Amino acid sequence: MISSRYSVWAAIMVTLALGLTIVGQAGLLDPFQGIFLKVTTPVDSALNGIFRPVADFLANAGNVNSLEDENRRLRLENEDLQNRVTQLKQDADRVKELEQALKINQGATSGIRVAANVVNRDSSAFTDVISIDRGANDGIKAGMVVLSSQGSLVGTVTKTFGTSAFIRLITDSKSKVAAQVVDSKADGIIQGEANRVLSFGLAQGDVKVGDTIVTSGIGGNYPAGLPIGKVSEVGGAPQDLFRKVKVEPIVRLSTARTVLVLTSFTPQRINIEAQP
Amino acid sequence: MKVAIGGAALVLLVLTQVAVAPLFPLRAAIPDLILVGVMVIALYWSPRPAMVAVPVVAVLFSFASDRAPGLVLLAYLPLLPAAYVLEQARLPINRYTQAAVATVVGGMAARLILAIGPMTQGAEFTFGVITKDLLLPGTVLDWSLLTLAYLPLRLAGLEASRMTLYRSNY
Repeated sequence: MISSRYSVWAAIMVTLALGLTIVGQAGLLDPFQGIFLKVTTPVDSALNGIFRPVADFLANAGNVNSLEDENRRLRLENEDLQNRVTQLKQDADRVKELEQALKINQGATSGIRVAANVVNRDSSAFTDVISIDRGANDGIKAGMVVLSSQGSLVGTVTKTFGTSAFIRLITDSKSKVAAQVVDSKADGIIQGEANRVLSFGLAQGDVKVGDTIVTSGIGGNYPAGLPIGKVSEVGGAPQDLFRKVKVEPIVRLSTARTVLVLTSFTPQRINIEAQP
Repeated sequence: MKVAIGGAALVLLVLTQVAVAPLFPLRAAIPDLILVGVMVIALYWSPRPAMVAVPVVAVLFSFASDRAPGLVLLAYLPLLPAAYVLEQARLPINRYTQAAVATVVGGMAARLILAIGPMTQGAEFTFGVITKDLLLPGTVLDWSLLTLAYLPLRLAGLEASRMTLYRSNY
């Protein structure tokens, strides 16, 4: 029987899949994965470097009008931000003076960061993972917080090898971050949803479109005050216990080429794992 | 030598899948070069090397993308049996259409199975996203990619082989 040969093959493959799942869970494939990534990362980077300009050109070619609008809006925003930066610099100097006077240390977010290049991105409706060209040899550990080059929250390190690491982005459906609205201080959970959308769940309090969301620091896995995104949509009735809040990430995750791993901040999950 | 070249080609296929394919998304779907690659191997070489290639690319892809290797292997499993069943059904369609339909079915199965992983770990099941943003665009991408790979080989005079395993002396 010919069809039985496909059946036998399928049965062998299912058994192999189960075996691989068990072996993978036990971490026995990690050394092989590390060697594979060490060998292939340069090829990955080269392929990405060749094809990314083509992809960028194709993506932008169809959006000329919207890019012009965006450019106009960003110019206005830039002017506004530059004005704010001037004000913030003055405030920062004042805070520094006060911190020195009161002998208060700076927050963990200003600590040591390891810059890394994005090698590739595994992105689908429910998954959003990138790999970087820095790893355990550079002091990166699973659980560490990853920022954009401008300091916005990008994701969390999930797995490290000698010279590479995987990062789960905040838009991945498994990602959950304790967060709060800057103005109203309403707490909630930023969660990745299907199709790489961010929602601000369990948010009680006043949330408006345009509000900035930052990490709250609750739970100890992220330092407080890291910018995450802006509220783009608030659904449901005002009397609802929890409104449906959509959030637009500040950093454009699809085009990020460099990220910063915050190595000086030790998240609570690493502390717990390190305990005997 | 043949095995070494084949192995290198599979590694390149996987690297292209993780480094290049995500740059060209259509809504939430990305082109599945692995799926089309396996189908082309089955059609223009024979089903037997394709059957060997499936677990190899599944493991390599899981290494490169940090997905569960067992789940990736299960995702690509329905492709070859689907092509065989379609061939045996003796529908009044030509070889290209048979291959295209099998690739689309295999692609849908692969994307659904790969979506199950995150769902078992808490992701919300959103029917609209899965059908409208993942499966339908995926169908367009898979069909287009297979056409891009199939037609030049066909025009070059290569004859697509059958999916029965007698020819490959399995």
